[in-house]
Amino acid sequence: MTTIPKVYSIKTTPKETLESWFKLMTLGRAIDDKAPNYLKQAIGWSYHAPYAGHDGIQLAIGQIFEKQKDHLFPYYRDMLTAFSAGMTAEELILNGISKATDPSSGGRHMSNHFAKPEWNIHNVSSLTGNHTLHAVGAARAIKYYGEKAVSISSQGESSLSEGYVYEAINGASKEKLPVIFAVQDNGYGISVPKKDQTATRKVANNFKSFKNLRIIHCNGKDVFDSMNAMTEAKKHVLEVGEPVIVQANCVRMRSHSNSDRHDLYRSEAERQYVLDYDPLAKFRRLLIRYKRFTEEEIAAIEAEAKATLKAAHKAALAAPDPDPESYPDFVLPEPYISEKYPDGTHEEEGDKKKLITALNETLKAEFKHNPDTFMWGQDMANKDKGGIFNVSKGLQQEFGPKRIFNAPIAEDFIMGTANGMSRFSEKIRIVVEGAEFADYFWPAMEQYVDSSHDYWRSNGKFTPNVTIRLASGGYIGGGLYHSQNIEGALTSIPGVRIVYPSFADDAAGLLRTSMRSRGMTMFMEPKALYNDPKAATVIPDDFEVPFGKARTRRAGSDLFIVTYGNTTHHCLEAAQKLADEGIECEVLDLRSLVPMDKEAILDGVKKIGKVLVVHEDKVHSGFGAEITATIMEEAFEYLDGPVHRIGSPFTPVGFHPILERAILPNTNKIYEAAKKILAY
Amino acid sequence: MSTAIIYSFTSNKTAKAGQKIVDSFGESLKLDVVDADNLAEEKFLAYDQLILGVPTWFDGELPHYWDEFVPAMEEMDMKGKKVAIYGLADQVGYPENFADGVGILARLLRDRGAEIVGMTDVDNYTFESSHAIEDGQFLGLVLDQENQARLSKKRIDNWLEDLKKIFK
Repeated sequence: MTTIPKVYSIKTTPKETLESWFKLMTLGRAIDDKAPNYLKQAIGWSYHAPYAGHDGIQLAIGQIFEKQKDHLFPYYRDMLTAFSAGMTAEELILNGISKATDPSSGGRHMSNHFAKPEWNIHNVSSLTGNHTLHAVGAARAIKYYGEKAVSISSQGESSLSEGYVYEAINGASKEKLPVIFAVQDNGYGISVPKKDQTATRKVANNFKSFKNLRIIHCNGKDVFDSMNAMTEAKKHVLEVGEPVIVQANCVRMRSHSNSDRHDLYRSEAERQYVLDYDPLAKFRRLLIRYKRFTEEEIAAIEAEAKATLKAAHKAALAAPDPDPESYPDFVLPEPYISEKYPDGTHEEEGDKKKLITALNETLKAEFKHNPDTFMWGQDMANKDKGGIFNVSKGLQQEFGPKRIFNAPIAEDFIMGTANGMSRFSEKIRIVVEGAEFADYFWPAMEQYVDSSHDYWRSNGKFTPNVTIRLASGGYIGGGLYHSQNIEGALTSIPGVRIVYPSFADDAAGLLRTSMRSRGMTMFMEPKALYNDPKAATVIPDDFEVPFGKARTRRAGSDLFIVTYGNTTHHCLEAAQKLADEGIECEVLDLRSLVPMDKEAILDGVKKIGKVLVVHEDKVHSGFGAEITATIMEEAFEYLDGPVHRIGSPFTPVGFHPILERAILPNTNKIYEAAKKILAY
Repeated sequence: MSTAIIYSFTSNKTAKAGQKIVDSFGESLKLDVVDADNLAEEKFLAYDQLILGVPTWFDGELPHYWDEFVPAMEEMDMKGKKVAIYGLADQVGYPENFADGVGILARLLRDRGAEIVGMTDVDNYTFESSHAIEDGQFLGLVLDQENQARLSKKRIDNWLEDLKKIFK
């Protein structure tokens, strides 16, 4: 039962408006009905989630969306939403059959994921509702920059079972953000009925106790009820400045998708029941019943839709397919290029600074350099506390709570809203403390992985400009959950740069480069070195370190040691110990893992022939495996013995200092391994 | 006084209940049976007394045939007309919106001047909320064929006992 103003009704809505709606709905449905034929003819559209039964609410979402001003995050069933928002029939088919000119992704993303990033119709993943966090992030930017606009997250009701949707709505409520959560409720998550999802059929009512949040229910099958609900929702967001959930009751007239058979779990009576409430048929009957259109006028529109579909079909079929040579494009955007420090080295003299000071001062400098820089995370900003290790101390005082602020204890929210906020403008740069410790980053992994896809998936149209800081590693007696290394798992995911400095100057230089670059960078901080004098260095004020440039920290000719992070220092200590015995080791600090400085590694192998790879993370499937395999493939003939790896065993890092010492690499373990290799 | 019972001829349970009502009135009341699927305003307004069959669809909605008639009803003058509503609903599957359709239509027609008759007790139903309730009573007869089919005959009989006193 709606209690919202009736702005639109069958009797009062101008005829030209009704006509435009009917045209959209008729042509949209014709495409929806035709989509399975493309698969039957082996042309494409192998994933199609029919929207039939969601017609009212999808029309309404698209109608209230103002392109290039509002932000729309449609889900995989939102064909009419995208059409109503302005995309053309041809563009929809280009997406459906995955053509190179598909404005959504150029055929890279699964079909039926409609987007047009240049209009702020965003390209999102298939993961149900994970764009809810992006919509909240975009809304944060809308609010910060004072735009009179809304962010719209469109999704099925089953997505509200996801924890990150709770995080998104909680954040929007807390921050009073201009976002509409348009929940299209067709009663099923594929074959899972609502009763198996939540105890509350009107699932939006689960959020009733949230402050600063309005909930509107509407009939998503009815054009006027949906238009009135979405119009009221947008008005409320713009005037009150608070979020709204619109739950639209829809029917799913077909199966979930073409890989689903709803006759396996829905009775014939139920299937007929939902067909009886065909929203398009209802709208058509209303137009005739209330004498707004004649049968002849309706027939003319329907004929026009057929002709338009035919022309769009023909044009889309003639469009080019993706070029197979193009697959490497858009994994990562070009980074910031350092003109002054092309190799990321310097000869500066003066006082040494600790690694934590390097990070703090670089953050401050970059926040001054770019006024569109933001940072949030857990424990980030409460009086004199600035981050769990106080890396960001003083930043909120200097740059204010709108640019530096605490996030809820919700890692996925931290990551997801960073992605979303960066969609608002290319000029924005975001830094997040991804979690209190690297060990706690796993809840954010779905956003991390999704964000890693964005640049590639959008065919180069969007990249999240985000630096993720993570306090990583052990040597602080913090096992199990304050000491793990996670880079071995992360380096297998394309689309994110990963850096792991071990000295203060490199930390400063890599952070500056990360914050000035487009794209996403995982910035791993060896927390054991924050205040360790051995990591302190002189740092030029404007120092920059390019990605993918390793640094030789000690030259030698007898053994080549490749390392990064905490173990750089252990390697240097072991090298000194060996030097005392007359053995000269070269120590290469990778600094960047992705991209990896393959050239520097291979040069060292070719020069020395004996190689030791060292890192703190597990040897088993650790990043050293990639380094070692690369050496074996590309420099085998230069080797003068097997490549050895030193790292942690295949266990967690234990808490007791005895266990931690037993598990983590140290100077002596490296020294012993070096001696074995040198014996070849 | 002219009387009509209006329900969808394509419906199943609602139509069966409607037929029972017709049978029960028998010769005691001249009762025209009108199809809600093809309802004209003139037809609706031609009667002084109406019995309307209004099932609740989905999570508390009118079925499309009544919903499509709402814009017409919103402008009607229903003064002097008596309206009794019966509705099919499912208190187990849809406890949050039990028989909402009955309440939606009753309030709409009352706002247009109609007198709503045939309220019934809410006893012996188990649900969470309903728009059909006012002052502790349903604004019509609520039948639950899904869960309480055996009670329907008695409920219809009791309701018609009251209606027979009201409808002339």
